[in-house]
Amino acid sequence: MEKSSVSTLLKMEGVTKRFPGVIANDRVDLELHNGEVLALLGENGAGKSTLMNILAGLYRPDEGFITIRGEKVSIHSPQDSMHLGIGMIHQEFMLVQTMTVAENIVLGLQDLPLIPPMAEIKRKIIELSDRYSLKVDPDRFIYELSVGEQQRVEILKLVYRGAEVLILDEPTAVLTPQESRDLNGIIKTMLSEGKSAIFITHKMDEVLSFSHRVQVLRQGKTVAACKTEGTTPQELANMMVGREILFKIKKAPYRPGEPKLILDGVTVEDPTGRPVLKDISLTIYEGEILGIAGVAGNGQTELTEVITGLQKAVSGRITLDSQDMTNKQPLHLIKAGMSHIPADRGAMGIVGDMSVADNLVMKRYRSEPIASRHGVMHATKIFGFAKKMISFFKIATPKPETLVKFLSGGNIQKTILAREIDSCGGVLIAVYPSRGLDVGATESVRNNIVAQRDKKAAVLLVSEELDELLSVADKIGVMFEGELMGIVDAATTNKEELGMMMAGMRGGNA
Amino acid sequence: MKRSLALVCLLALLVPFALFAGGAQESATEAPVEEPYKVAFVYIGPPGDLGWTYMHDVGKKEMEAALGSAVETTLIESVEEGPDSARIMGQYARNGYDMVFATSFGYMDYALETAMDNPDLLVEHCSGYKTADNMSTYFGRMYQPRYLSGIVAGSMTETNIIGYVAAFPIPEVIRGINAFTLGAQSVNPDVEVKVVWTNTWYDPVKEREAAIALLDSGADLLAQHQDTTEPPKAAKERGALSIGYDADMGQFVGESVLCSPMWNWGPYYTATVKAGMEGTWESHQFWGGLSEDTVKLSAMSALVPADVQAKVTEVQASIVAGDWDVFTGPLYDQSGAMILADGEVMSDGDMLSMGFFVEGVVGTVN
Amino acid sequence: MRIVLEKREARSKTVTVLVPIISFVVSLMLGSIVLGLSGANPLSTYGFMFKGAFGTWIDFTETLVKAIPLLLTGLGVALAFKLRFWNIGAEGQFIWGAIGTSWVMVFWNFLPLPLLLPIGLVMGMVAGAMWAGIPAILKANWGVDETLTTLMLNYVAILFAEYLYYGPWRDPDGFGFPGTKRFPQEGWLPRFAGRAHYGLFLALAIAILLWFLLSKTRWGFEIKMIGKNQKAARCLGVSIEKSIVVTLLISGALAGLAGATEVAGISHRLQKGIDMGYGYTAIIIAWMAQLNPLACILVSILMAGLLVGGDQLQMMVGLPSSMGLVIQGLLLFPLLAGSVFTEYRLKIVRKVEA
Repeated sequence: MEKSSVSTLLKMEGVTKRFPGVIANDRVDLELHNGEVLALLGENGAGKSTLMNILAGLYRPDEGFITIRGEKVSIHSPQDSMHLGIGMIHQEFMLVQTMTVAENIVLGLQDLPLIPPMAEIKRKIIELSDRYSLKVDPDRFIYELSVGEQQRVEILKLVYRGAEVLILDEPTAVLTPQESRDLNGIIKTMLSEGKSAIFITHKMDEVLSFSHRVQVLRQGKTVAACKTEGTTPQELANMMVGREILFKIKKAPYRPGEPKLILDGVTVEDPTGRPVLKDISLTIYEGEILGIAGVAGNGQTELTEVITGLQKAVSGRITLDSQDMTNKQPLHLIKAGMSHIPADRGAMGIVGDMSVADNLVMKRYRSEPIASRHGVMHATKIFGFAKKMISFFKIATPKPETLVKFLSGGNIQKTILAREIDSCGGVLIAVYPSRGLDVGATESVRNNIVAQRDKKAAVLLVSEELDELLSVADKIGVMFEGELMGIVDAATTNKEELGMMMAGMRGGNA
Repeated sequence: MKRSLALVCLLALLVPFALFAGGAQESATEAPVEEPYKVAFVYIGPPGDLGWTYMHDVGKKEMEAALGSAVETTLIESVEEGPDSARIMGQYARNGYDMVFATSFGYMDYALETAMDNPDLLVEHCSGYKTADNMSTYFGRMYQPRYLSGIVAGSMTETNIIGYVAAFPIPEVIRGINAFTLGAQSVNPDVEVKVVWTNTWYDPVKEREAAIALLDSGADLLAQHQDTTEPPKAAKERGALSIGYDADMGQFVGESVLCSPMWNWGPYYTATVKAGMEGTWESHQFWGGLSEDTVKLSAMSALVPADVQAKVTEVQASIVAGDWDVFTGPLYDQSGAMILADGEVMSDGDMLSMGFFVEGVVGTVN
Repeated sequence: MRIVLEKREARSKTVTVLVPIISFVVSLMLGSIVLGLSGANPLSTYGFMFKGAFGTWIDFTETLVKAIPLLLTGLGVALAFKLRFWNIGAEGQFIWGAIGTSWVMVFWNFLPLPLLLPIGLVMGMVAGAMWAGIPAILKANWGVDETLTTLMLNYVAILFAEYLYYGPWRDPDGFGFPGTKRFPQEGWLPRFAGRAHYGLFLALAIAILLWFLLSKTRWGFEIKMIGKNQKAARCLGVSIEKSIVVTLLISGALAGLAGATEVAGISHRLQKGIDMGYGYTAIIIAWMAQLNPLACILVSILMAGLLVGGDQLQMMVGLPSSMGLVIQGLLLFPLLAGSVFTEYRLKIVRKVEA
């Protein structure tokens, strides 16, 4: 895209923000021009979100100032920010599930009359959604919408309020590839209507396809700011991480051992009695990674939860080392050597309000040496163990006593990974383990998973990235509407074949 | 900056102290030449209840008027009948009080405990049965005026169903119901007294509900062993008659309240405090009746015919004279079993632990 | 200039200590306004209140007498709250404790007298535990909301106790008055000063033990996990159902022990006036102590002091009893509101300064 003229819309100068024990932003300068997309690139915890939250009025900078169209401004609240034409879409959407699209869009508007003129509001919404090609029905309830549609509602909300600058915090993390392409189109339309955008991401391909300029943050500091044109993914990745990145996974040759985990005709029903997992049979061998592909919501969660004892099977049999494990309690499975990296990290993987050290021992606190036989836990042993894990898995935390919720997404995942890998006794169930992680963290997660397989563990890897599955897994099963469409050899299959199966065609040796 | 802000806040917060610091200075300046006799009253409710506590308070005031500056009194209201009462009585003892009146039954064990721990304190407990060298009990023969009120009620009911709103199934209340029923039957053998328990001494809402239930079941006259004026009010709204209790409830409700058996603690309080001051106090169990003027019947409403009034006056005179008392045989209980043979007189002990209803009462004793 | 609330990233130690102190001062100020308006001298009134609760040794023993049931119920409530199980039924569990102990004391005549007290107290704990076990099992197995069940069971307990001492348990030699027989003297919990009984040391020991269990053992670790993220705890192999039931049995046993020591140490019989509302005050204590068992000790003594000192408003200052309750409420309000400031900070926002 060509820009007609370069004029500065928004400028941040020398912005510093400190949190207890961390400098999140260290004298950061940032410039946004009229009608451009700026990609803000960095690893998890590099300070991207903090910087943008300052613009959105959620944080106040400790130092530095902000100018908009040359005028110095102060932003104390999201309202102030909105007033200045800045709107931010967070990773978690702020929508009321049980209200309609139109209601959500006008919710919280301060000049709204007591009884809102809904007809007029809807007309305006339809007009705006036509103009920016944001297709969404104002009368539908949020819970009826897909994630991509919900994101459109968030964008509409901002446009409705007259936002000139859109800030999108990792907008594609929750989207399917098709939805990501749609989003790209939407943003292009918005630019042509004279708006600008800042795009937080850690995915190189998005930087290249979405943005005009890119600014790279590392450990709270700007390490580069340049035109997107002329950069390469390798270059960006190296700047982000500060060292050379290997895109290839080192992996020992595939030599499967005995069958480890066997599912035989397993069926799971939801509370209304509808089958969500239909007659699944599969075998994972020692020293093998079985990847599971599929569009999210096609039974992957149920599959991993029935294996880990979090959901009940209504029929079928699960065996681990020839022992019947069907509908056993999670503790029973953990004791049998099962590790689980759950999909929803914050909700299921960690206890945010407890320390990093405590979270690291959550698999080991039941036995010696962490706890004595009488159940007394040894603080020094916990601390020592945690320090060892923190340095081994390179978890960036100010102290072992820091609450996990204050860590960045990548370090939270490393904490979980450290705990699960450390306690792994032969079976590892990893669900979207690299989702939302930056290059460096993704690399370490993948290497750790492969290392388990090389140590003869049976691994189930659920992922939505075909590249990841193709490079990490030995075999790939594809799920569609609760059924296994087939299992194929990762070495010989290709994206086209997997794509067909994800769309519901049977293949492989199903 | 932060520090100065804190200082300003602190100063601002101190203002109320300064403003009101002069509030209660005058009380400290009173220093009488001779140390007065200090008496404390522990009340179960607020004196404004126009019932039980109100009548104790009236008695307290009479005593103060009679003894003047020689006595200094204080009161504490709404004290629960639980362990806290012992603490409060103990505190009075430690604060130099000479005598404590504990005016509710539930204080009994705690009053005794306080008396044991504080040998210099004289404890007066109303309505109980435990005594010590420095603890007495006092109560009134309320059953006597209740019998008189029964005569009035029995004469005035037309449906021959009288409702009785009653607090707790304890001897004091059961005795009152029986006496009232006997009084009513003495002039109207067909009369029935229906009893509803509220399990509360003082609860306007529950008492009103019970009253309405009784009126709905055919009663055209209500009596009560409760401390609020709700039953007479409810009766009045329905055009029914009533008998009050505690105080002269006719003054608050109107002439539909035919009469009220009432307490009159003034004479006893005056005499007892005086005995304490003069050093003649001895442990006792006082149970005063109409003749001691501890209990009485209020003036009767204009609705009560002259012949009924005359009958009441006649019976009252015979009780005061000691010729006759309420629980004199023949007396039958609800099942028809004979309790007292003809001419037999019930002992005080049996009266104090009464646990049965006489013939003519509809209801159970628990 | 505006004032805004901002969430604190981490709870600082200074704030945790300072906020209650400042809240307390604000409480005194608020109270003094009301006292002043009702014609009392605030300074001397507070003086009386303090003296009444802590002035002499014997006054202090009375404060301790009240602190014992408050501490035990407070610990029970704090324990359940740690699990995010909203047990507001400590009152009913307290009453069942009193019932259980009374049952042994009055009817277990076959026991050797020295065993009366220990078995009586244990029975009180068992009864309290049983009463907390009902909502715990309902919650664990069927997800029945515990706030409703625990609250409703309080009324059942109060009415059942009333039924007992007006009905079958009424003292046959009590002239028909309500209340059980007095316990045999051998069954009384001995007193060490005034009315203050050895239940105090039992309660203190339990507070310390509970602190140890919660902060140093596997059991405490699991309670913390469940309380802070139940889903993750389940994922990590903690049995939520079992933890709820076990913890609530202990919570109920503590409230039951409070009722047991109250009848064995103070009233020596089951009678009217046993439902003093300690179980509800316990909720305030647990919150003010931020669910820390050791802090519960201090808070329950202060709360007992406030209640005992409150007598003085009537006795020495001559305020009506209702005013006493108003003052006590006013003193508590800022303390509770103050807890907001340990989580959030006030920020004064001025026009931008470069």
